[in-house]
Order: sequence, then structure tokens, then C-alpha cells
Amino acid sequence: MSRALWTALALAGAVLVETALAHLVASPGRYLDPFLLVVVYCAVVFGETHGMLAGAAAGWVQDAIFGGRVLGLSGLTKLLVGFAVGIVAGRFLIATPAARALVVLLATLADALLLRWLASVFSIEALWLPPLALATRATLSALAGGLLFALVDRRLSRSLP
Amino acid sequence: MLAHLTAISHQVDGGTGVSLLQRGLLSVLAPLQSGVGVTLGGAAELWRGWAFHRETYADNRRLRERVRALETELQLSAFEAQEAVRLRELLALQQTLPLDTLAAQVVGRDGVPWFRSLMLDKGEQDGVRLDAAVISATGVVGRVIAVGPRAARVQVLLDRDSGSAAIVERSRVSGVVSGQVSGPDAGSEDLQLKYVSERADVAVGDVVVTSGLDRIYPKGLAIGRVRFVGEATGLFREIRVEPSARFERLEKVLVVRQLPAPLETTRSVE
Repeated sequence: MSRALWTALALAGAVLVETALAHLVASPGRYLDPFLLVVVYCAVVFGETHGMLAGAAAGWVQDAIFGGRVLGLSGLTKLLVGFAVGIVAGRFLIATPAARALVVLLATLADALLLRWLASVFSIEALWLPPLALATRATLSALAGGLLFALVDRRLSRSLP
Repeated sequence: MLAHLTAISHQVDGGTGVSLLQRGLLSVLAPLQSGVGVTLGGAAELWRGWAFHRETYADNRRLRERVRALETELQLSAFEAQEAVRLRELLALQQTLPLDTLAAQVVGRDGVPWFRSLMLDKGEQDGVRLDAAVISATGVVGRVIAVGPRAARVQVLLDRDSGSAAIVERSRVSGVVSGQVSGPDAGSEDLQLKYVSERADVAVGDVVVTSGLDRIYPKGLAIGRVRFVGEATGLFREIRVEPSARFERLEKVLVVRQLPAPLETTRSVE
């Protein structure tokens, strides 16, 4: 199956996870960003171009379903994050779960800061997380990402001859 | 020899009117009988106990299964009762409101922390329009900001980018209620009542309702209660309002289908 189809399936999975989490906790977006996990994985494994495209798609889906009045903010931030992570992954070896978790952590922080900056540029009012809450979100996303990437890698290595 | 002894003992009286043979037989057999009796009695008791235990064990298992089934039924009944209460509240509101409304289910919420939104399971095909007001049994929820054929996204009143024309019910002081003052980390999710003059009569506990001036929210819907009235900073006062809608527990809401009639402009005098 093509990369694009896998990415689309992964994004559909992210929508389901986010929706399911909304039934378990109030404001699930405060704890985890499943869309960013898809973007980081795509960028690390397939490179900056695919990371960038996956980022744009993920951000637009996130904006369309969960975002605010203005669409495209998350689309742009995730595009930039996907591109940056892809570039970094091309120059450094990001293969271990710990390294990938660290990349997710930094990507989550970068995504939040970029979104804040973009919102201020376009004069969009948004609610900002305090530093501790942002750190918690980044840490939880990193842990979930490290675990998920290891599982996906194991599954893929089994399916390959 | 045995026959002899038997015959002799039969004739000899043991002093108690019972022959020695009888006494001997009795003394030998009685403990044996007693032993057999006790053993058989014990075995029977054991058997009865085991049978009883088996029956009890089966009963116990059956009762445990029954308890589990009843607990499940109880949970379902409790859930249905809560659902019924919510629906009754919503139906009561729907009947009292002089508006054309549509009940919708909340299917998603707050996927990103920067904006406060809800996803509803009703869309354009059900009559939901852009900017339609969304209300709950306890108060105003928000407005529709995106609508698809079978779903709609609602900007919750808590969103920093939201706003509603409001009025203090007691003193008729008007202002604009807008998004959340602080995040849930601050312990409260208060709204701001903005553009209220420093001389205005507003007190803690006052009820704030929609004024209808924004042409989105119908007039007279509950927004919340004033929780804090600060000192005047410049022309206006800092006023915080505790929202009456329970945003974190919303499951069913009403979407107002009837949009306000467009304003007719007054013709200038020729």
C-alpha cells in the first residue's frame, strides 16, 4: 500500500483516538496530540517532503474537526514541524524509541510556540496553556509516541520478508 | 471345643440373669456395632454435607451470576434514568422556548487546547445553519461556526475568540460576554463581562442573560452569574461571570434553527 494511503489511515486513526479520548477526559487536547505523532513518524521515516505533506493534511483535518473559527493555523504549524523534523531526521540517526520520543517532545513544544506566534500575527484570540501544562502535554505525547513508534516498527519488521 | 464352651456358658448364669455367652457376645459386638454406627453416621453426615456443599456451591455460582446480571441491569437503568432526566430537561426547555430548535448529540470536544469547540451530530441536512445559537438546559453553550451535511462545529462561549451581547437581569446593565479569563489550571473557567461602565450597578450573584443585540443568541437566555466585580480600571470594570452551562458534562444540546429576522434599515427622509 502506498505511503499516502497509510498516512490517510493513520490520520483517520488519530481522529478516532481524539474522539474516543473526549469521552474519557475533559479537553483531551490538553494531554495528547495524536495528529502530531502521525506527522513526526512520517517525517522521521519518509523524509521532509512526506513529513511536510502529512503535516499539512494532519493540521487541516485537526482544524476542520477540532479547531477554532479560523482554519489553517494547525495546518501551517504542522507543515513546518513536519518539514523541520524531516530535515533533522535526514542528518541525524533517529532510530531508537528514546530518540524518537525526544523528537516528539520537541515537536510538540515547537508546534505550540509556532501556533501562538501565528495566532498573534493574525490577531486570533486563543487560550494558551501555562508552561507546566504544556510540558505535561509534550511529555505525555513523547511517551505515547515512543511506545507507538516502537510498536509500529515491530509490526512492520514482522510483515517484511 | 468351641461347641463345648458355648454349651457350658449357655448354662452358666453371669449373676445378672444373663448368660455368659450373651454377655460375651454383647461385650464384643456392642463396641463393634457402636463403631460401625458411628462410622456410618459420620459417612452419612459427610455425604449429606458434601451434597449440601455441592448444592450450595451451585447455588452460590447461580446467585453470583444473577448478582452480576442485576448489577449490569442496575447500571443500565441508572444510565437510562440519567439520560431520561437530561432529555426531560431538554424537552422542557424546548417546549418553553418560543423558538424552533433541534436536539443534537455532542460527539466530540476540545481536540486542541487553544480553542474551545464541540462537534455535533446534526448538520445542514437537519436544518442547522451557520451562526445558529446552541443552548443547553442550563444556559447558552455557543454558536455554530462550521457546518457540514451531517455535522456541525460549535464555538463554545468559553473560547477566547467568542462573544455574546449580554445584559444584567436585575439592573439591565448591558455589556459583552466573551471567552474564558483563564484556563482550567486556574481553577475556574469564568467568562468576562466587558464594556461595563465603572458606575454601573453590578453585584456579585447577579444573573447575566443574553440581550439579543448580537442577532445570534435569542434574548433572555441564561449565560451565568456574576462571580467577581473588580475595581474600575480606566472606563470599565473588570467583571467575571461563572457560566451556567456545564460545558464539561454536555451530552445533548439544542440548536436554534430559527435565525433572527434581518434588520430593516430605515429609509432616509427625502
